[in-house]
Amino acid sequence: MKTEPIHRTSMWKFKLSAATMTLIPAAVGINYVAKALAEGLKLPVWLGSLGTFLASMLAGPVAGAISGFINNVIYGLTLSPISTVYAITSIGIGIAVGVLHANGWFSSARRVFVSAIIIAIVSAVISTPLNVIFWGGQTGIAWGDSLFAVMVANHAPVWLASFTDEFVLDILDKVCVAYLAFFIYRQLPQRMVHFFRDDK
Amino acid sequence: MMTDQTLISGTPQVKRKWYQVIDPITKLLFILDMTLLSFASPNLLLQVGLILVATLLLLFSKLNSTTFKALGFSLFLIVTMLIIQGLFYSHNQTVLFSVLGISFYKEGLIYATMLGCRVLVIILTSGFFMVTTSISENAAYLEQSGLSYKTVYVLMSVCYILPEMMRNMRKIQQAQKVRGTNPQKTLIQKLKSVLPVLIPLVIKTLDQSMARSISLQLRGFDNPNRTVKTSQQYHLSRMLHISLTGLAILLIGWKIWTKINGL
Repeated sequence: MKTEPIHRTSMWKFKLSAATMTLIPAAVGINYVAKALAEGLKLPVWLGSLGTFLASMLAGPVAGAISGFINNVIYGLTLSPISTVYAITSIGIGIAVGVLHANGWFSSARRVFVSAIIIAIVSAVISTPLNVIFWGGQTGIAWGDSLFAVMVANHAPVWLASFTDEFVLDILDKVCVAYLAFFIYRQLPQRMVHFFRDDK
Repeated sequence: MMTDQTLISGTPQVKRKWYQVIDPITKLLFILDMTLLSFASPNLLLQVGLILVATLLLLFSKLNSTTFKALGFSLFLIVTMLIIQGLFYSHNQTVLFSVLGISFYKEGLIYATMLGCRVLVIILTSGFFMVTTSISENAAYLEQSGLSYKTVYVLMSVCYILPEMMRNMRKIQQAQKVRGTNPQKTLIQKLKSVLPVLIPLVIKTLDQSMARSISLQLRGFDNPNRTVKTSQQYHLSRMLHISLTGLAILLIGWKIWTKINGL
């Protein structure tokens, strides 16, 4: 049998193939289950973007962004309506992870840490205006909000206080999720990685 | 929960209720319009009016636990918002009342009440959408209104995959518990205890996705000669779409106009 050399196409090239079509719902499901697991164990992190991370790593930034978007829309239409607007944040996370992964920033434990910080910044920058518009700057997580209250009480600008509130929570969450995704991705069977990457 | 059977199957009925003859897009546009109206003015009376309208709609359609769950979470946040803004809002000037020597200010409380009202308006109107449309109805309607069936498949299959994943997770958790669990005190220990559940779950889920993808291809999902299921008819949908979209554009335009003129 003749084998063709693997030719990697641009990471931005996107076709809704049957593989991606089933990967996206799975990613949304992983987001949902990971979030439920974190809540069950009373972890101080959300873990709700694990599926988005994995989809981006497996099928590129566009697939990750779509997973993130659909995740928030479905979550918003079934459980908490306001989370729909945070779909923009999820799109940002999906793109950031996909680009970092394609450029080799998920190849070693040390690099993953740098990636996690970049992703946390992306996420916090997009979320902060939404927090200010809808919640007066709060995030809804008790200790992040107490930090927010202390800063506002000391006459810090709302934007700065809200960004700090969001960023400290994001950095913890994204570091945990990035390492989880890194470990899980390495455990995946190679046939799976190739199947979803759609090498042709 | 998403496992709710009525949500998934959309029970066939002979006589349809008033909210079933309104199409999903109209309901979504309605959410958009109510949100924009709520953001159009900081008038508290208007907010209360909008909340009343949404509550009445919910009462006359049907109430279920989903809306209450969504409300429960945001009510907690609204209370903390009232406290934080009441104490520390940057434009605070007039003391409204004091509890144990801590003063709550009028400006902050009004600001937090307004934000809280907006959140309630959004939750209640979306609640109306959530309880009155079934997943299969949405799928059929989205395809009818021109979205590609691939996109519809991606959107809708999530709702069918989730219950299956939850079942898988419980099975894996039980299996891991039988093997014995490590102490879970520190954050690192807790995170490590997540891995033995997550890794098999992710691999199983992706494996099932692969199987699903292969069977989709085998069944000819990409076949251009696909037949589309005919969907039910809705009343006045076209007129409602146009008028609701018009209202949305008007509200956005008005908001921008007042912002530019500094009103």
